[in-house]
Amino acid sequence: MNLLHRRHLLLGALALPAFVQAQDAPLQVVASFSLLADMVAQVGGPAVQVHALVGPDADAHAFTPAPADAQRLAKAGLIVVNGLGFEGWIDRLVKASGSKAPVLVASSGITLRRVAGHTDPHAWQSLVAAQRYVENIRAALVAALGTTRPAQAAAIDARAKAYTAQLAALDTSVRARLAAIPPAQRRIVTSHDAFGYLADAWGLEMRAAQGWTSAGEPSAADVARLIRQLKAQQARALFVENISDPRLVERIAREAGASVGGTLYSDALSPPGTRADSYLKLMTHNADTLLAALAPAPALAPAAAPTAAPTADNSRR
Amino acid sequence: MSAVAPGAITLENVTLCHRDRPAVHHLSGRFEPGSLTAIVGPNGAGKSTLLAGLMGRIAPSTGRIRLPADGAGHIAYLPQQADIDRGFPVSVADVVMLGHWRRLGAWRAGGAAQRAQALDALAAVGLAGMQRRVIGELSAGQFQRVLFARLLLQDAPVILLDEPFNAVDERTTADLLALLHRWHREGRTVVAVLHDLAMVRAHFPRTLLLAREPIAWGATAEVLLPAHLQRARLQAEHWEAQAPWCAVPDQPAATMRAA
Amino acid sequence: MTVYDALVQPFVEFGFMRRALVACLALGLSCGPVGTLLVLRRMSLAGDAMAHALLPGAAVAFLLVGLSLPAMSLGAFIAALAVAALAGGVARFTAQREDASLAGFYLIALAAGVMLISLRGNSVDLMRVLFGSILAVDDAALLLVAGVASASLLVLALVWRPLLVECFDPNFLRAVGGRGALHHQLFLVLLVANLVAGFQALGTLMAVGLLMLPAIAARCWAHGVGRLSVVAFGIATACGWGGLLLSYHFGLPSGPAIVLLAGGVYLVSLAVGPRDSLRARFITAHRHRTA
Repeated sequence: MNLLHRRHLLLGALALPAFVQAQDAPLQVVASFSLLADMVAQVGGPAVQVHALVGPDADAHAFTPAPADAQRLAKAGLIVVNGLGFEGWIDRLVKASGSKAPVLVASSGITLRRVAGHTDPHAWQSLVAAQRYVENIRAALVAALGTTRPAQAAAIDARAKAYTAQLAALDTSVRARLAAIPPAQRRIVTSHDAFGYLADAWGLEMRAAQGWTSAGEPSAADVARLIRQLKAQQARALFVENISDPRLVERIAREAGASVGGTLYSDALSPPGTRADSYLKLMTHNADTLLAALAPAPALAPAAAPTAAPTADNSRR
Repeated sequence: MSAVAPGAITLENVTLCHRDRPAVHHLSGRFEPGSLTAIVGPNGAGKSTLLAGLMGRIAPSTGRIRLPADGAGHIAYLPQQADIDRGFPVSVADVVMLGHWRRLGAWRAGGAAQRAQALDALAAVGLAGMQRRVIGELSAGQFQRVLFARLLLQDAPVILLDEPFNAVDERTTADLLALLHRWHREGRTVVAVLHDLAMVRAHFPRTLLLAREPIAWGATAEVLLPAHLQRARLQAEHWEAQAPWCAVPDQPAATMRAA
Repeated sequence: MTVYDALVQPFVEFGFMRRALVACLALGLSCGPVGTLLVLRRMSLAGDAMAHALLPGAAVAFLLVGLSLPAMSLGAFIAALAVAALAGGVARFTAQREDASLAGFYLIALAAGVMLISLRGNSVDLMRVLFGSILAVDDAALLLVAGVASASLLVLALVWRPLLVECFDPNFLRAVGGRGALHHQLFLVLLVANLVAGFQALGTLMAVGLLMLPAIAARCWAHGVGRLSVVAFGIATACGWGGLLLSYHFGLPSGPAIVLLAGGVYLVSLAVGPRDSLRARFITAHRHRTA
C-alpha cells in the first residue's frame, strides 16, 4: 500500500463520522398546527423534528405569519397541512418562503362532510379519519427519508402501526360507553361547529350557536331560535371550546336551563403539561367530557366527569 | 350694585414678553382707584397683552404688578369676542347668569332673586326679553351687550375691557359708554383698550399711550398731543430683526396681591 | 303578527333581549351628555381613537396576569386614560392642537399594543376577550355599565357648568378661578370609563356608535346642551330597541343593525330635521315673525 492509499484511508476515516452524523440528522418537518405536529411526532419519533406554525391554544383562523415561520418552511424537509380550506394562509406562505419541500395534505382520502355548501375541514375530530391521517403521514415520512435510512423507515412503520392501534382502541371504548346512552339523549350544543365529524362518527346530535368559522356575528334571531330549540328538545349540556367567545354560550345555556358542561377542545392542543397536550389526550378528554355530560345519571354538574385516565397514552417525545 | 372702595393697580418696571420679544417694555405707573382710563396705541403696541398681564394670565419677565388686596377674582374682564365660541348652544340667560359665578360657585343653581337680577341687567343693556335666544342668533352688537350684562352682574371693583366697541354700531356704543360712566360714578376702576381717539377725548379722563414702551400716562388732554402720537407711531413701526438684549436692570418678577 | 308581537313580545319571552335593552339604556343615559359634549368640543373622533388606545394596557395586563377580564379592563382603562391625558397635556402646553396630539399618542399606543401581543408569540385574539357582544351581556357586564352610567351622571351633574364654560369661554373660567384643566381631565376620565364599560358589554362598534351617532343626529332636532343630551339619549335607546328587533325578526347581526339604524336616523335627521338640516337650508320657511 503506497502513501496515497493510506491518506485516502485516513481521510475516509475522518470523513466517516461526519457522514454518519449527516445521516442521523432528524428530518425537519413543519406542520401547520399543533394537532398535526403531535401526530407527526408520534409517528416519526427521533427521526423527525417537528415544528407547528400555529401553536397550542392558538386560533388558526387568526394566524399572522412571522418571518421566522417563512425561514422554517424554507429549511424544512417536509410540510404537513390539513387542507380542506382550514389554513387559508398556507399557500401564500409556502410560496413566499420559496421552500422546495413536499407538501402533504394530511386529510387526503377521507370521507368528507359538507356543511351549508362548504366542506367542513375539522376531519381530525373523527378517530376513524385520524387513522387515515396517520397512514398518510407515515407514507410521506418514509418517502421523505428516502431509501438511505431503511432502519428508520422500519421504525416509523412500527410506530405508525402502534399509534393507529391506540386510536382504534380509544374509538372502540368510546362507542361501547356511548351505547349505554339512548340516541334521544345524545344532544349537545357547542359554541363552535367544529365537531361535525365527531358527532357523525359517534352518533351524537350537535348544534352550534355560531357558524363554523371564527368570524361572523350572531343575530338575535339565531340566539332566540337556539334557546327555543334547547328548551323544546331539552338538550342536556352546552359546551364551550377553547378558542371562541364563551360568554354567549353561557348566556344561552343559562336561559335554556342547560348546564355548561365543560371545555371541549377543537382546533388546538392545550399547552404542554396540561390535560390536552397531545392528540390522543385531547380526544380522550373530549370523549370523557361528553360522556359525563350525557350520562343517564341525574348529576349533570361538570364535577361528575370522571378524570380522564388516558389508556395507552404515548409519551410525547 | 353698591359703590366699592377698590385699591389701586400699581405697575413697577413691568415687562411682558412673548418668547424673548417684549410686548410691553418697562412700564411703570398706577391706575388710580376709581379711575376711568383708556389704553391707546398703534397695532402691536402691547395693549391686550397688558390687560392679560393685569389679569395674571402672563407673568411679568421683569418688575411687579400689584393688584388690590381682594384678589384676582374681583377683576372682571371683557375679552375680545373672537375668543368665545358663539356656535355653542347656550342661551343669553345662561351667559348672563355666569356673572353670578363668584357668589354661586361652580354648582349651586341660581334662585329667583339671581334670575331677576340677570333680567334687570339685560334690561339695563337694552336687551329686555331676549333671555331665551341662543347666542349664535345674535348680532355682534347684541352679543357685546350680553357680555356687558354679565359684567354688570359680576359687580367687580376693577373692570378691564379689551376693545369693547369693535364691530359694534353707534347706538350700542352710546349705550355701553353710558354704562362705563355709571361704573365710573360707582367708584369702580375701569380700564379700556380703545382705538377711537375721538371717543377717548370725549369720554375718558385719563389715558395711557402705549407703544410697547409707555409714551405718556396721565390726563387725556396732556397725553394725546400730536408729538406723543407721532412718537408712538414711529416706535411701533420699528421692528428690528436682531434687536440687542435689553440692559435695563431687572427686579425679581412677581404679581403681588397685597398692596 | 300583532303590534305587541312585533315590538314587545320578544323582550318578554327572552332574558337576553331584556338584558341587551337594559344595557343600551344604561349606556345611552351617560352617552347622551358625554357624546353631546364630545361633538360640541369637536372631539367626535376621540371615541374611535380611544378604542385603539387601550390596547397596550390590555396587553400588559394579559402578560402580567393572564386572560383575566377585570385585570385587562383595568389595564385598558389606564392606558386609554394615559393617552387622553398626554394628548391633553401636549395640546395645552405646546402649540399642537388636541386632535393632532391625540392622533399621535393613540397611534403610538396601538402599535405598542400590537408589538407586545406578538412578542408573547401567542395569536390568541385578546380583543375578543375584552370586547363583548350585545347578545351575551352577563350580570357582571350589566353591573359595570349601570354603575359607570350612574357614576357618570352624578359627576356630570356636579361639574356641568364649569365643563360647559370651559368649552365656549375658557377665558372667563380662568378669570373667575374655576379650574378648567381639572374639569377637562375629569371629562376625559368619564369618557374613557364609559368607553371601556361599553366595549366590554357591547363591543367597540356599538359602544362608539351609540356614543356618537345619537349625539350628532340630535343637533338637527334640538338646541341647548341639556335638550341635546336628552334627545341623544332618546335616539340611543330607540335605536337599541329597534335594532334588537330588526336582529330578532330578520336575522341580522345585532351590533351592526343597531348602529346602522342610528346611522339611518342621522341621515333622516340631516334631511328633514327642523334645524341645521338640508330641509332648513334649501326649503325656506314661508312664515316669519314681525321682529
